[in-house]
Parts: sequence; structure tokens; C-alpha cells
Amino acid sequence: MNEQDRRRRRALIAFQIFIYGALLAMFLIQLQMLMVKDW
Amino acid sequence: MIENASKEGSASSADLPLGTTPAFARMHKWLKRGLFVCLFGLVIEGALTVPVIAVWYGWPTLSLTEICSELMKVRYSDDTLECTQPYPLSGPPFGGAPEAAGQQTAKDQWGIQPVPQYPHVGFRELVRIHNERQAANKP
Amino acid sequence: MVSLTLDAHQDESRRAQREADRWLIAGTILMGTLVLGPVGLPVFCRGVYLLRRAQQVGLSVRPMMVTLIGYVVILDAAINSIGWGLDVFANHALITRTIFTAWGNLMDGGYFWHYNELWIGGAGAPGEKAWIIVCIVVVFPMRIAAAIGLLQMKRWGHQWTIVTCWFGVISWMGYILNMTMYADVRYAGVALPVIGWWLYNIFYITPFLAIPYLHTVNREIFSD
Repeated sequence: MNEQDRRRRRALIAFQIFIYGALLAMFLIQLQMLMVKDW
Repeated sequence: MIENASKEGSASSADLPLGTTPAFARMHKWLKRGLFVCLFGLVIEGALTVPVIAVWYGWPTLSLTEICSELMKVRYSDDTLECTQPYPLSGPPFGGAPEAAGQQTAKDQWGIQPVPQYPHVGFRELVRIHNERQAANKP
Repeated sequence: MVSLTLDAHQDESRRAQREADRWLIAGTILMGTLVLGPVGLPVFCRGVYLLRRAQQVGLSVRPMMVTLIGYVVILDAAINSIGWGLDVFANHALITRTIFTAWGNLMDGGYFWHYNELWIGGAGAPGEKAWIIVCIVVVFPMRIAAAIGLLQMKRWGHQWTIVTCWFGVISWMGYILNMTMYADVRYAGVALPVIGWWLYNIFYITPFLAIPYLHTVNREIFSD
């Protein structure tokens, strides 16, 4: 149970990093566009 | 019955909420805090949305219909457009034509990625625009 | 602590749960109207307080986290559905035309650019209607139904809330990617480009906070 718990926790942390990382990446891409384009 | 049995099982860590095992207690605590932040955020910004937008675009100096018409003029670059109020019920999505059907005046750089060409509208700038047009049309 | 028989304990627990839920439901409904949100929040918090008090005296009530996830997921879905529902079904009402185009001009050009020119009316930004319709017809109703099952401590509610929260990965990523592809339409001429939209919408990540909890909570607490 302990090993399974540890693997589960690691997987869920990886998911959080993935999803917030993806959102951050898209935010940064849009921010970069904002700086380059004449919006 | 199942709930009571589980409660017995986690009674040894009596300060933990039902369903939370010690391995995940810290994770659950932070998730709970995150959810409360989101809840308060959603509620506060939800409540502020309509008032802030209304004031930014000229309310109460301009009525809602006037704001609607001013925005329509900006978005289609045509000073003659007005918001028909009330709009006939036969309109979208019940098959009738939408209010801007067949418009030709909108300024865009067309292409695979269109680029709108309308000007920015600053804080309460619609009031100034509206008043200037009234003054210009008066004589 | 008063010692009760099993029956009395269960009755008392159920009564306390129902009382808390009445405040929670009322609060959520009020918050769902957006404008009455500041009234709904204290009402909701009273429900939270009643639930915590019942927990502290040893009654078997729904865990706080399950309660929070259930109601917040419902609120999230309801607010989105109302907004987007207006865009699809009431796009020529005065309040919709005014507030949506104003919001569009302020934060997201997709709701300003050629608004109400599409045959179906509403937002005309490329791809926007597709995302709106799939969300209000598929994602949010399923999520609300699942969250209600979760609040009832049903096993299927727990499972389906997991599934419908995972939908959020597709809907968030797809929606934002679409915005990014047509970024000029969404942000050119807008008062608060990029920053406005992200600050406003970041609070809708609630499904991503629910997922880790739902995967690590002890499944036994949910019955069929």
C-alpha cells in the first residue's frame, strides 16, 4: 500500500506540474505575442 | 454503516478527515486551501464583473442601449449603426437574421489569421465619443 | 460528548448534514447568479461552518473536502454554462449584447469581433462556438450531474466526477490553444489584452485541484 501510495502521489504531482506548466507556457506565449505585436 | 466502519479504521488518526489517509493529508490540506481561494476568487470577480464593465463603458451616463449602440459602432466601424431594442424574438438562434447580418463596414486585415483594425476604447471613453457625435450632429 | 445509540447517532448525523446542505445549496444558487454572489458566499460559509461543527462533535457527515469539491465544481460549471448559454440562446437580449461585447472589448476580442454576425449569433471568433457548445451541452451537464452524485456520497458520483474533471484537461488546453492560434482576433484592440483574460479565468482551474483529491481519497467512504 505504501509503495502504491507513493507512486500515486508522484503521478498526481507530475500531473499538476504538467497541467499548470502547460497553462503557464500558453500564457507566456501569449505574453510574448503581446510584446511583439501591435495590440 | 460503511462510513462508521471506516471511521473506526481511521480513528487512530482521529484528527484526519474521513477518507484522508496520513500519506495524503498534506496534499489534501493544500488542495482544500486552493479550492477556497478559487471559490472566493470566482465569487468576488463574478460579482464585480457587471458593475465594473458597466462603469468602464459609461454607465450610468450612457444607458445600456446607448452603450450597446456605441460598441456596435466601434466594432463595425460604422457610426450609423444602432442596437435595435428589443430585438425581435425570431432572431438567432430561432432562424432569423442576426443584428449584423450582411454588414460590410468592419475593418479587418483578412487572411488565415484575421487582424481586427478597430481602435481601443479607454476608461469611459464611450461617453466622450457619444457626446462628441451628439455635438457634431446638432447643427 | 453525549453517547447516543447507533440509530440516534445516524438520525442526528443525517439531520445535521441536511441542515448544512440547505445553507450550502442556497449559497451556491445565489453565487451562481454572479450579481448576488457576495450574498451567497456568507450563506455558503455558514453551511461550511455547520458541517465543521457537526464533524467536531463526532457526527458522521460528509467530509469537508468532498463537500467543497462537489459544490465548487457545480458552481464553476454553472457560472460557465449560464454565461455561454446566454451567448448561444440569448445573444440578442440587450443585457447579453451590451455586457458581452463590453467584456469582449475589455478582455477578449473573441466576444467583440463581429459579435452577432454569425448565423447563430453570439461570439464569432474562429472555433469559439464549437468550444462553447461542446462545453455547455456535454462537459458541464455531465460534470454537474457527477458532482451531485459525489455529494450524495455515491460510488458512481465519485468515479464520474473524476472522469468529468479530466475532461477539463481537454477543454482548457483546446480552448486556450484555439485562442492562441487566433490571438490577433482575441487580443487586438482590447483594453486589457492577455493579462485581463488570464487574471479573470485562472480561478476556473477547480477541476485540476479536484483530480488529485478524488484519486487519493479512500474509496470506501462512497457507497453504491
